[in-house]
Formats: sequence, C-alpha cells, structure tokens
Amino acid sequence: MKKFFYLCIFLLFSSGVFAQTRTITGVVKNAQGEPVPEASVLVKGAKSGTTTNANGSFSLVVNADAKTLIISSVGMVSKDVSIGKNTNVNVTLTTEAKELLEVVVQVPYGTVKKSAFTGSENTITAASIQKQQVTSVTRTLEGLVPGIIATNGGGAPGTGAAILIRGVGSINASSAPLYVLNGIPYDGSITALSNDDIESVTVLKDAAAGALYGSRAANGVIMITTKKGRKGRTNVTASLRQGFMSRGIPEYDRVNSQQYYELFWEAYRNSYVAQGDNPTLAGTKASGNLTGVNGLVYNAYSVPGNILVDPTTGKLNSSATLLWNDSWEDVLFRQAARTNANINFSGASDNSDYYLSAGYLNEGGIVKNSGYKRYNLRLNVNVAPTKWFNAGINVDGAMAERKDVPSGGTATTNPFYYTRQMGPIYPVYQRNPTTGAFIDSLGEHKLDWGVPEQMGTRPYAGRSNLLGSLALDDRSRDIFNGNSNLFGEIKFLTDFSFKASLGLNYLSNNITEYQNNQYGDAAPSTPGGVDGGRSTKTDDKQVSITGNQVLTWKHSYGVHNIRFLAGHENYKYKYNYLSANTAGFLFPGQSELDNGTGAFEPASSYEDNHRIESYFGNLNYDFDQKYLVSASLRRDGSSRFIDSLRWGNFYSVGLGWRVSQEKFLRNVSWLNELKFRASYGEQGNDNIGLYYQYRDYSYASGTGSYLNTTRSANPNLLWEKNKVLNLAVDFAVFKNRLTGTFEWYRRESDDLLFDVPLSISDIRAASIFQNIGSMKNTGVELQLGYNAIASRNFNWRVDLNLTHFKNVVTKLPTKQEKLGIVRGTQRLFIGKSIYDFWLPEFAGVDASNGDALYYKDILDAAGKVTNKTLTNQYSLASFYSHGSALPDISGGVTNSFNYKGFDLSVLVTFSYGGQFYNGNYASIMHRGSAGTHLSIDALQRWQKPGDVTNVPRLQNAIANQEGASSRWLVDGSWLNIKNITLSYTLPKGIANRMHVGGVQIFGNVDNAWLYTAQKGLDPQRAFTGTSDASYTPFRTVNVGFNVNLQ
Amino acid sequence: MKKILFAIPLFLLVFTGCKKDYLETKPSNAVTVAELLSSLNSVYALLDGVAKEQFAFGIGASTGHDNYGQKSFDLQNDLMGNDMVVHSQGYGWYNATYNLSEWARVEDGRQSDNSWYFYYDMVKQANTILPVVDGIGGATVAQKESIKGQVLGLRAYGYFYLINNFQQTYKGNETKPGVPLHIVIPIESKGRGTVQEVYTQLVADLTLAETLLTGKTRTSKNFIDVSVIQGLRARVALLMEDWPAAAAAAKKARTGYTLMNSVQYAALPAFSSLTNAEWMWGSSIPSDQATIYASFFSHMDIRTGGYAALGGQKKITKALYDQIQTGDVRKTIFRTPGTGTTSNPDYNQLKFQVPDINNRWAADYLYMRAAEMYLIEAEALARQSQDAPARTVLESLVQARNPAYSAASFNGAALVSEILLQRRIELWGEGFSLLDIKRLNQGLSRPTGAGNHGSPSFDPGVYTTSPADPRFLMRIPRRELNNNSKMTDSDQNP
Repeated sequence: MKKFFYLCIFLLFSSGVFAQTRTITGVVKNAQGEPVPEASVLVKGAKSGTTTNANGSFSLVVNADAKTLIISSVGMVSKDVSIGKNTNVNVTLTTEAKELLEVVVQVPYGTVKKSAFTGSENTITAASIQKQQVTSVTRTLEGLVPGIIATNGGGAPGTGAAILIRGVGSINASSAPLYVLNGIPYDGSITALSNDDIESVTVLKDAAAGALYGSRAANGVIMITTKKGRKGRTNVTASLRQGFMSRGIPEYDRVNSQQYYELFWEAYRNSYVAQGDNPTLAGTKASGNLTGVNGLVYNAYSVPGNILVDPTTGKLNSSATLLWNDSWEDVLFRQAARTNANINFSGASDNSDYYLSAGYLNEGGIVKNSGYKRYNLRLNVNVAPTKWFNAGINVDGAMAERKDVPSGGTATTNPFYYTRQMGPIYPVYQRNPTTGAFIDSLGEHKLDWGVPEQMGTRPYAGRSNLLGSLALDDRSRDIFNGNSNLFGEIKFLTDFSFKASLGLNYLSNNITEYQNNQYGDAAPSTPGGVDGGRSTKTDDKQVSITGNQVLTWKHSYGVHNIRFLAGHENYKYKYNYLSANTAGFLFPGQSELDNGTGAFEPASSYEDNHRIESYFGNLNYDFDQKYLVSASLRRDGSSRFIDSLRWGNFYSVGLGWRVSQEKFLRNVSWLNELKFRASYGEQGNDNIGLYYQYRDYSYASGTGSYLNTTRSANPNLLWEKNKVLNLAVDFAVFKNRLTGTFEWYRRESDDLLFDVPLSISDIRAASIFQNIGSMKNTGVELQLGYNAIASRNFNWRVDLNLTHFKNVVTKLPTKQEKLGIVRGTQRLFIGKSIYDFWLPEFAGVDASNGDALYYKDILDAAGKVTNKTLTNQYSLASFYSHGSALPDISGGVTNSFNYKGFDLSVLVTFSYGGQFYNGNYASIMHRGSAGTHLSIDALQRWQKPGDVTNVPRLQNAIANQEGASSRWLVDGSWLNIKNITLSYTLPKGIANRMHVGGVQIFGNVDNAWLYTAQKGLDPQRAFTGTSDASYTPFRTVNVGFNVNLQ
Repeated sequence: MKKILFAIPLFLLVFTGCKKDYLETKPSNAVTVAELLSSLNSVYALLDGVAKEQFAFGIGASTGHDNYGQKSFDLQNDLMGNDMVVHSQGYGWYNATYNLSEWARVEDGRQSDNSWYFYYDMVKQANTILPVVDGIGGATVAQKESIKGQVLGLRAYGYFYLINNFQQTYKGNETKPGVPLHIVIPIESKGRGTVQEVYTQLVADLTLAETLLTGKTRTSKNFIDVSVIQGLRARVALLMEDWPAAAAAAKKARTGYTLMNSVQYAALPAFSSLTNAEWMWGSSIPSDQATIYASFFSHMDIRTGGYAALGGQKKITKALYDQIQTGDVRKTIFRTPGTGTTSNPDYNQLKFQVPDINNRWAADYLYMRAAEMYLIEAEALARQSQDAPARTVLESLVQARNPAYSAASFNGAALVSEILLQRRIELWGEGFSLLDIKRLNQGLSRPTGAGNHGSPSFDPGVYTTSPADPRFLMRIPRRELNNNSKMTDSDQNP
C-alpha cells in the first residue's frame, strides 16, 4: 500500500530533466489548412510536451534521442510524426469523425473497433453528459440515444430515470437494462456515481452487442466507463456549478374561493333534489349545509355560512368579503439551490495512468424539507510494470444524505397531492372567524391542523398541516455506495492474454422514518399525551461480488484478423434487511428508538441471495476489415431456478459488410463509409426479483407464525427468452459531413415469466409464475449527424435521432386468451400493446339532466355484440380498447453552434403519440367531494336542461356515475427543450495571465420549456401512461465554470 | 517461462467452476409448505398465522385502510343496515358502503374482491392442512383431531360469509347459485353450484368438527374450540330456519360462559379484550401487531385519533336508542343526547373503545360472544312457540343489562319482535345488521329526522329498499370471472 502511495506521489510530481537537447518548432493545421490552437505536442517515450498557440505553432525543447512527436487535439485523430533530424515539423490533423475506423466501442469483456463491430450500440461521452445538471447519468440519455425511451424520473432529489431499450421486453419480470460499471455488472446506485467522473456511456442494444451477458442482457445493457488519466501533462481541473431549481410543470388551474363555494352549493342542492326535495327547499338546505359539519365546514367569508350563498340564485352574497386566501403551494414549495463542485487530478506516463477526483453535490428539493447531499471520491489507476503484465484498480465511494417527502400516493402526507387537492378556502394558519386575523402564539402565526378544537374538522385531510408536520417529521436516509474493481492481465506466448477481474459493490441505506410526536398522523391521542410519534429505523444493505477470468487470443494472418476469447464468471449477491420501530416519544426530534415507549410492529430482518455462474466464448473475425463475422456463446446457471433446469445457453451471430471498402466504391469520392450489419441472437431475463417462484415457500409473519403461500410454486420455471434480429446500415458521406445509422429490429420475448392470474376460488393462490406468453417489439431507429457549417470561426452541427417501435402481445395464457388480463386501467390482449387502455367509454353528458353517459354493448342471445347504447350507470358501462400508452415516435435533436470561444447547444426531446390516463386531473374533476379542490374546468358543468357540455352536473355523494373512463385519457405527446448550454472559453492569453491553464464559463437551463397536450400534465411520469401525485420534475437554471489549474 | 507459471493456475480458474452448491440459495425467512406441514409445532405456527390473518391489514389486492380482515366486513354489515349512522363523511372510508353502492364494484381491491379473497384464503388454508393432518409425526390422536376440528371450523366460517355476502339468505333461495365449493385442493375450477350445496357442506363440516373438538381444550380464545363450532352451527341453523338445531346448538355453545353484568358491560375493556368471560372467540391484538389507522378501533373509537375522530364517528339511531329502557346499561354506551360535543356528538358509540388510551392501538377483536347465543336460542324457541322457555332465556340475558327487565308481557309474534329488538340493541356494531335484514326478508328501512339518518349527519342517499335488494349482494370480483374457466359474466349477481 505504501509503495502504491509513493507511486501516486511520484506520478503527481514527476517531471523530466534532460541533458542533451534540441529545439523543434512547427505548425499544426487542420484539413482545411487552418491553424489548430491548443493542440498537444508530446515527445514519444518522454514526459516533455507543450501546446500550440493561437496560430497553431509550437516550439519544444526535446532530448537529442527523441524520434517521434505525438500531436493530438480534442476532436481530432492524434498523429505520430517522425522528426528524424528535422527541427521544423508541420502537421495536418484530421477531425475524428472522418476516421470511423479509430472509434473504439466498449463491449462485454473488452473493446472493439467500431468499424469491425457487427452489433448495435450508441455511445455518449462526457461532453454531452456534463451539459445537463442532473444527479444521475440515467437522466441524460433521453433524446441522445436512439432506441431508448425514458421517464423523466420525477423531481425528487437524488433520484434517477428509468430507461427502456428497444421497447418493453417483459410483462411481469423486469424490463430494465443491465448496468455495467467499468466492465463489471453493477447492482450499486447509479445516482451515487458523479457525472463528472464518467467518460462515456455505451448502450448495447442487440444480441450481437449484449449476448455475452447472457441471462441478464435481454433488456439491453448500459455500460458506464469512468475517466482515466491521459498522456500529457498532469491535469488539475476544478469546476463549480451553481443552479436554481423550480417547478418544471405547472399546477393545474383550479377555481377560486368564490367559485368554490358556489359550485359546492350547487353540488349540495343537486343532491337534495335527487333525494326528492323541490328545488327551493333543496336550495335552502344547501345554503344551510354549505359551511356546516357535513358541508365544507370552513367559512372563509365575513358573512354567516347559511347566508353565504343565496338559496335561490346560488350566487355568493355580494356583501361578503374574503377573510383569507392562503396558498399551500407558496408555503410548501420553494426555489431550491443546487451546488456542484468537483476537482480532479489526472495524468499518465508510459506505464501508468491515474485519475483522482473529489466531488460535492448539494441538491435542494423544490419542496421544503427535501434534498440530497453527496460526497464522492474516486481513484482510477492503471499500471504496466512489465511489458507482459498490467493491472488496474478503480475505487470509488459516495456518501449521501437524502431527505425525502412522501410522494406518489394519495396519502395526505404527500405535499404534491395535498396541495393539489386542498380546497382553496382552507387556510394554512388559524384565523379569527369574523375578522380573518391571524391567531398568534409566541409571536408566530398558529398553524391550522383542521381539527375540531381549532377551526373545525377539515373535510379533506383533517388533523394535518404539512407545513407543520413535514418540518417536524424526519424521512431521511444515509446512503453509502462503494465500489472497487481490480484487474490483472498477463500477455504470454504470442497474441495471448489472460485477464482476471474482481468487482465489489457495497450499497447500504440507513433509513429513518419518523412521524412527529406532536401533530398530525402520529399526534398523541390526548393533548400532552405520551403515545405520540412513530419512528422506524431500517438498515438495508447489499453486497455483490463478481469475479471473471478471460483468456483472449488475437491474431492477424495477413488480411485475416481474428480475436477469440473464453471466460468464466461468477456473481454473488447478498441483501440484508433489518428494521425496527417504536412509538411514544417525549421530546421533539428525538427519533432514535431508545427514546420511544414501545414497538408498534414486530422487528423484522431477513437475507436474500442471488447467484450466477457462467462460461462464455466469443469469436470475432474480419477479412481485410471488409467482411466481418462475430459469434458469442454464454452458458449461465442461476440460483433463481431449480437445480435441474438452471443452466441455459445464450448466443448471438453477427455479420458485417463494409461495402465502402470494396474496390468498386473506393473511388466514389462522396462516399466515405457504407456498412451493412446483421445480427441474430438469444438472450435471457431472469429478473423476477429475489423470490423463490420455483418452490412453495411459506413466509414467516414476524410474530412466530407462518402464512400459507399466497402464490403457487412452479418448479419448471425458467428464463424468458429474447430473440433479437437486427439489420442496420451505417454511412458517412460528403467528406463525413453527414453521418448516420439506420437500424431495424425485431425483438421477440418468448416464454415470458408470466404471473398468470388464477381464479381465487379454486387454486391455492392468486397467481402463479409460468413461462407462458410472447411479446414482440419491432422498431426502427435513425441517427443522423450533420456538420451544417464548418468554417474557421463558426461551426454548426445538428444531431438527430428518432425512435419508433411497436409493441404487440402475441401470446397469452390459454385461459386468458379470450378475455385478456385486466390490469388497472389497461388490459393485456393479443394483438394489442402491453400498455393498452381498457376502459368504459365516456359518451358525454346528457343535456336533459347532466348525467355522465357511457356506452354499453347490446348483446344478442348468443352473447354477440349487436349494437351499443347509452347508460348513466357506470357499473353497466362496457369496456373498450382505447389505444396504447406507448409513443409512436420519439427522439431528440441537438443543435450545436460554435463561434470562436462560444459554444451553444440546444437539446430538444420529444415524443409523439400514445395515450395518457390523467388520474390527477380526474381527482380535481369530482362531482362534489367536500373539501377537495376543483379544476377550473368544473365551471363548465351542466347546470340546467339544454346545457350542452362535457362536464356532468355537480352532485354531492352521487353514486354509480363516476369511475375510470376514456374521459380522463389525453394525448401523451410532448416536446421538451431539455437542455440549453452556452459556454465561453477564455482565450488562452487571458487565462495565462490569470495563471491558469484554461477557463471555461457556462450557463445551462435544464427542462427550459415543456409542451404537453394538457396544462399540468407530466406525461413522462411512467411508461405505463398513468399518473400519480409524484414529485414534480424541476427546471434548473445553472451557471458555472471549469478551470484547468495548470 | 515466468509468464507461463502465472498463466497455468489462472487457466485452471477459468475451466473449473464453483462448487455445485454455489447456486443453491434459500430464503432466510421462509420454509417450504412440506416443511411447514411436517411437525406438530409448525402446523400450530401455521394455524397461528391463519388466526392472525383474521385481523391483518392489506390481505388481497387492497392496502386501503378499510381492509383489515373480519372486523372490516363486520362493520360493513352494520353500515348497510338501519341502526348505525355515520356522523360525517370524514376521510371517506365506507361512505360508498353506507350508501349501498360499494358492493357492486368488481375491481381488484374493492370490498367484494377483498371479501372473496379473504374468505377463500381461509378455505385454502384449511384445504391445505386437512389432508396432511393424519401424517403429522409425533402428534397424538387427540392433537390431530383438535387440528382437524379447528380447520373444519375455519373452512365453515369462510363459506358462511362467502355464501351470505354473495347471495341472499338461505331460506327461499336454496336453488340459487352458490359459491364455488372446494373441500380438497382442486385441480380444476368450479362453477357456482347452489346455495343448498354450500349449506349442506357447512352443516357436515360443523357436525364433524363438533365431534372432533369435544373434550379438547384450546390455548387461547384466538382459536376455535367446540363452543365456537356450536356457535357457528347455531348461526347456520338460524339462517336455515332450523329452529330446533339452532336452539340446541346455541344452548350448548354458551354453556360455560358467563354474561357480563351491567357494571362490566359499561367498563372499558368490555368490547376490546379477550379476557372478557362472555367472549367466545376473538383475536388478541397487542400493540406491536395492531394495524393502527387501518383498524376497527380507528374507525370506531374517537379516542384513538383515527378515522372516527376525523369525522367518521359511528352513532346509534335515535330510533333505536329511544327503545333502550332507562336503567339499561346499554343506554350508557352511547353519547347521551344533549351532551354531545363536536368531536363526541350525541348518540356517538362508546361501546367499542380501546382499553388503554396510553397504549391506544392495543385492542382485541370480538368475533363471537355468549349473548348472541342467548338471542339465537330465545328466537329459535319462540319461533317454535315455546314462549315460556324463550322468555326465560331472553330475560337471563337482558336482566344482566337491566335488572328491572321483564319479558312477561310478550307472547307469540310480539315475543319474536321483542327478541329481535333486543338482538339489535345487544349486538349493535358487531356485524349482524345486514345478515338479519336479509334473513328476515326485510328491506332497508332507515329512520330519518333528528338523531337518525341524514342531515345534519352524513347523507347516505338511500333510506329504504325492497326486500332482497340486489345491492345487498356483493358482485363477484372481475378477476374471478375472468380467470375461472367455469364461470362467465352470466354468473354475475344482479
């Protein structure tokens, strides 16, 4: 260890001293003959070097025995230049895009030249990742990689997005891709990785690319590679970014206090009329009830409740003045700050390289009492002490503290749901009912908790005040994520190498969930009582270990290039969970269990394990870099299946033909590259979680008893299989100014790990996993890059990618073939997509009475549908198919402009088509649920016979009229200006005068502008096209700078 | 050469895999069904699990705070009847049950689905255990009989509620569709069969269970013993209008239990503790197993700060309250009119209260007590025109609540009416209202006006119905119709 430490110190401070020297001067130009400033000029085999000035010229003192210079510049292909006895060297560098040949792709267990690759992949690099000020790299991929769709991940601090590669792969097993970090399958936290440390993210999409990961690769693979030191001078880069976050999606427009009372009066009046009262009596009763205990309870106006709304006209009393108008949003939401600072040191010599970084991130939440703080450290070192041996280690650790607020559900502790649903007449603070004056205690406004002892039992969310309780509660977690990957590689005989790697990941969450002992949900049953407060402490942790050994043989016989590898891998995952709780706390904020009086649930702990063992082989062959063949085979054994069946084989075959290398095309000057690729293979998916579906386990209840199985066991359970056919063409034309890839694929998921529902009455469980059912995703992807303008001072580049896929369920369990499988608002059905809506169809509003109408099938004696009719009974409505939640087309466009030191890039992402079920909107379009807010659209309700509208009449406690229906479906299309980045790189001279190597200042806006079909909608909430009251995504406005300190 | 020496051991690593048991993993908190059914103690652990499921939160598809097992269904039986008033809408729980629209919902996680799942789960547990009891090693014959008897009782209990929730009462509906009846782990689905088939099986199971459990003791009232079997038999006989059987079973069932006196009746743990000598069957729920907001007492006892305190107070109707005689202790377990406050309004129920407000969620659930047996016996006797013994049985119950009570003036139909009135008073809130309304072939008849249903209390919207209204039936859950190969939409309840 000590030696290692000295090595690092040595690397940091080493600099060469040479006895015999000479001076070389020269100019570096690009293909257009323009000078290249800032190009690196290095002496091969030595540590000396310099950079070119603004005119592209350099002057370098070199050792007498120096033979070769290495000239490189960002975005250009580096070049070795033999200097011989010359003292003047002029070099022309070509831009990197022209040399498709040299691009290297990260693939399982190694790298391959892009030109020799037969699979389908996309890589995004640090440059585009760092433009976006997001905490998880998963949030950066959307719009940059064709073939994926992503959720926006919501706005909760310290969370990531979900990604689907090439459609939806599974129905009941996971459809999430496999993540690989620095070559080792990764179970750790993606959010724990600092985006500043990420060099590239490679998305492997087809079987030829991913089949070497066998039973876990069916949903594609996302490979994350972290930075390495590069040859050249030691780099010290510091960056600081400061952002401001605000709500990225506006709230739904809702009614004001006056409208609210008038609408509720109408809802009550209509309810009395429905019970047989005449309209006059009903109006009087409604006025009397309006602010009573069975009405809205609160009276926000200056006149008595029973004369607040006129019993005849339903209009608010003209002499009434509003006493308060509190905004729950204003008190609970805020503009939050986001600070991200990072420093890294990197460098390399001939036989070692290192990268060392430290980062700090503090992301506030746009809801008070939420936020995320993270501290990162990383060290990547590679050494090659001899010609035949090299080794490397990547070590990183992140500690994070996350403060959460409940989100997603309909609990009244969820501030998003709470602020949306809370009627406008309910104040945050207690008021004097006649004057509206605040009621103060100790100089502070007293909060209104909606309880009888204060202003009354608030009909929505009584006994709560999130401004008060969220501040006193504690929902937080400390997260530790640590990784270390170590490898050693020896080269032996001719062309053989053997590499052994070991990857360790440790992820732990130390979770506190404390509900305060004074107010709200866990308040004492009697004021001042000692039974208040509930605290749960949970410790969960996972450790995974992956070891692999790979033997590679690489050889070229003239025009025949062969690479063969064989290997073995084992994977061991262990999860531990421990949770305990107690209630009855005396002192505010003392949430540790020692302070409580007794547990409210039994303590719980358990362990789970998952293991895989694998053997694999891969062959890559190319003939003169023209004809390409690759084949992979992997054999996996998984602990998730029974011993007699658990071994399975996965494979792929890929072919490529670089037509542009053929003689007949070599002279076609406008064509720079044309390559056809085809691949086919089978991958697996074993991801049904840590359950033992193959055996009939009964689980312990935690109180010394056992519960019978709720699920039937199926000992024959096996992997899902994904058969993927991929056809693609890559091209580059017009001096590489236009490059692109077009791909077509068909992905068939067979033997789905299907959670087949059983009839509750007859079998032993509600469902059973079986390998039944098939699904197909067919899609096309297009990626185009166009250097529209490339001149000396001004560059404009456009990158476009488009994704289209169609998902179809092709086979279901026999019993469910006819009826399909209903899942909430959707139904699985043969010929339809996995997320196809299945709902009663809203047929508008009966103009004579304001009833909501639905369609109902008329059946003949044989049960065949002959026609349809209307019904006002929701429970009688027939169900119909209403299309898929999946988009027709999605993608992104990046426009990048460069003028002198200025860079501007704009990323626009979009999705077209697909239905979205807006339950959030439905929840504020109720028929008169007391205390709950109403959408502004409720003003369009039916009022009297003859009214033509699509909003039914309001009526408190109406039965059998409302339910999920096509009424709440909206177009899920959206367009988002996802990122705008403007940066300015200071001229070298100015930077030097500041005694630094380089300075870049920049500003970004994330989620600058979002278009959706309906205001307030968050269409990227979930792939399923259904919403909940989730943490709203945010917009970030950010400024920052990067300084190269040397 | 050095390189080769390095390479050889590494080669071996590649081509030798891990040990065979590397891929064998087991969950750390579960055992296989075979293991569970292999020994006496583990079968007891399973029976204990079934007992705890009776008050578990979130069984089936719903984690709503109105899904907490038997007492949730009991409460709905009262909310759909005449005698329980909901104070205000509160958090909205059970509002749709109170207005009789909930049971028509067929989606996953609605009450019909919850009930179907809950009771069939009980049946499944029974059918899993029954066939293996004889093979339990180390168990005595008596122990095996005791297990079998309990399990048969659980199965009967499950089918009793299934047939009553999903069909009208027995009498007059014997040939109507029943519920799929399985007495072994099935290979295939079954259709609805008939009501009669279900009752035949109920009687058979309970008769056998009575024989098996006679002379056996239980470790606590969490479990079924012979008296509970007899009590269930009495309930079944009452529905079948088999009066002699009802009277006999009820009398046997209550033997050995003492009625609460009027002091005990009004004292706190009367309806929340298994220690009560009158209780025959219940669940003891210590605070660490309580389901907190999603519990019976959250919906009933305003002192918990649960949903009852949040506007969902449950009140007796003025109409029924006024029929309780002055001096009857049962009048004191409701808030005296005129003394009400905002949180504790007039007529608010004070019957179901947690024993200790400083340990506010630890409260036991009641499933059966001796008073019900007196009422069944008295009614069965009166129906057989044995008025005198009927009056004696009735008086021995009611005098424990009101020493001044006399039934001397009641004869014939008036006596039956009096017994039914006492039944409504005595068993208020215990889950019998709708069962009785269906059994007696009455429609709903909710009294209105001050202190009764409707304004200013929560407006149920429904006040009267015809007898055997289809709204008294749960509809068969959607997922059952979809997944049961022997059922189609035409098997749905009206």
